[in-house]
Amino acid sequence: MTSLQRAWRGGKNDWRLHVLSIFSVAVAFVCLAAALLVVVNVDGLRDRWARAGRASIYFKIETTEAQVRAIENAVRAAEGVTDVRYVSSDEARREVLGRGDQVLAALPAAAFPASLEVMVDEGTEGGKLATLASRVSALPQVESVETYQDWTERLASVLTSGVTASLVLAFVVLGAVVSVVASTIRLALQRRRIEVEVLKLVGATDSYVRRPFVVEGAAQGGIGALLALILLAVLYGIVRENLGGELGVLVGMQPVFLPWTFMISMVALGSLLGAVAAWGSLRRLLVV
Amino acid sequence: MDSGPSFSPMLRSGNRFDQEAAHRPILSFEQVHKAYRSDAPVLRGMNLSIQRGEFVFFTGPSGAGKSTLLRLLYAAETVDAGRILFMGREVGRLRPESIPFLRRNIGVVFQDFKLVMNWSVAENVAMPLEVLGLPERLIRTRIGEALERVGLGGRGSDVVATLSGGEQQRVAVARAIVGEPALVLADEPTGNLDPQLAVDILGLFEDIHSTGVTVLFATHDRSLLDVRPRRVIVLQDGKAIDAPNGLDGDIEDELRVA
Repeated sequence: MTSLQRAWRGGKNDWRLHVLSIFSVAVAFVCLAAALLVVVNVDGLRDRWARAGRASIYFKIETTEAQVRAIENAVRAAEGVTDVRYVSSDEARREVLGRGDQVLAALPAAAFPASLEVMVDEGTEGGKLATLASRVSALPQVESVETYQDWTERLASVLTSGVTASLVLAFVVLGAVVSVVASTIRLALQRRRIEVEVLKLVGATDSYVRRPFVVEGAAQGGIGALLALILLAVLYGIVRENLGGELGVLVGMQPVFLPWTFMISMVALGSLLGAVAAWGSLRRLLVV
Repeated sequence: MDSGPSFSPMLRSGNRFDQEAAHRPILSFEQVHKAYRSDAPVLRGMNLSIQRGEFVFFTGPSGAGKSTLLRLLYAAETVDAGRILFMGREVGRLRPESIPFLRRNIGVVFQDFKLVMNWSVAENVAMPLEVLGLPERLIRTRIGEALERVGLGGRGSDVVATLSGGEQQRVAVARAIVGEPALVLADEPTGNLDPQLAVDILGLFEDIHSTGVTVLFATHDRSLLDVRPRRVIVLQDGKAIDAPNGLDGDIEDELRVA
């Protein structure tokens, strides 16, 4: 009888214990997977915005249309610029008030300056866009230039925090999985005390006795991680179904689920942790 | 002409088969001391020699050290002083990784059976063979043979929990002999059985012994010692009193004086 068959027999007899353990491991992994999902999407957003190639040039209120057109032509001729759209002060007001915000309706005309929406080729380096923005902002008619660089930097900072938080969470999950699996295996060992005792008495080596328990630990960790991913995928599907469109419009990209490599790594990590926890928990308990 | 299987011992290269070894005692206890508490030693300088193929009763009151003695044999305990030689090897000096290989030569039967109750009879009996890594087919054949020998032929698929106490002990005996060990230890195997069943189980051990297996049978039930005259070792005050022909009047007197 192979270790796998012996593990299956043991697991079948103690299935309630294993289900509880798998559920606890899954809860721990859901936290980690959710944090990773956020990190992956924030990273995607940062990438998207870093390559957004957009700038808004806001004019002072006294700028004439001729001056605006002159600047528009100059910008259009700049390297990497693919499109330039003029948004007058009235259009800007209509755009905002069209959303039905009555508080904003009371704002003065100066709150809605005319602007040029500049689209830059996505392959253009961020430095070139920054140079263009700095040149344009030096013009006396220009109030300010928004290149969304601040947002990218803020997102990068959020991402760094997210990665740090995920690492901390990974350690917490590691501890939780090891603790849950080790306790379950110790309990399973107690329940199968006679079996283990007899195995030792008939000449089984420690590794022969341990192997099915290690397989059970690995299965608990792996299945727990897999279950966590399935749960998260279901939740993700629900959120995307209901909010995906709005989120896409709001942040400029559709949310994505964890890549395959992450998912496979997480299941492998769960199995490895489970196996190590089981092996460690049995080290001192096999004395007969 | 004997057409049965020939005995071809596996020898390490460089080691020659030692004819003398076959005539040495299978077990020797030399000045064995064992104490769980320093003020109450269980065994005090015990000397004993048991030949291959012997059937020996160990008896004595509860706490006399019968179980301890057996536990020392299969290395579940270690001696405090002295030495125990099993097939010429000193048990106390075996490295931990060698102990499983010692145990593969010893079958043990306990008073509480030590069976996995929710497994089938066959699964329980198969354990020593699975540990050896024998092929599935051979395991099935040998389980069948062992169950036949203990009178449980065709009961392999029964769940142990559904068997009577006597049947459960037979399963434990089948498990002890299925690996064809050189030595079978029985630690109060009839302690949980009624007198008739106890005699039946004793008969089973005598059958096993008749095939050449050395049997050490620990019991505090004096009535079993009278069933057939056998060598009896009485453990008393940490010493072994040897009665090669059973407990006759002289030995009984000696025990009373002691």
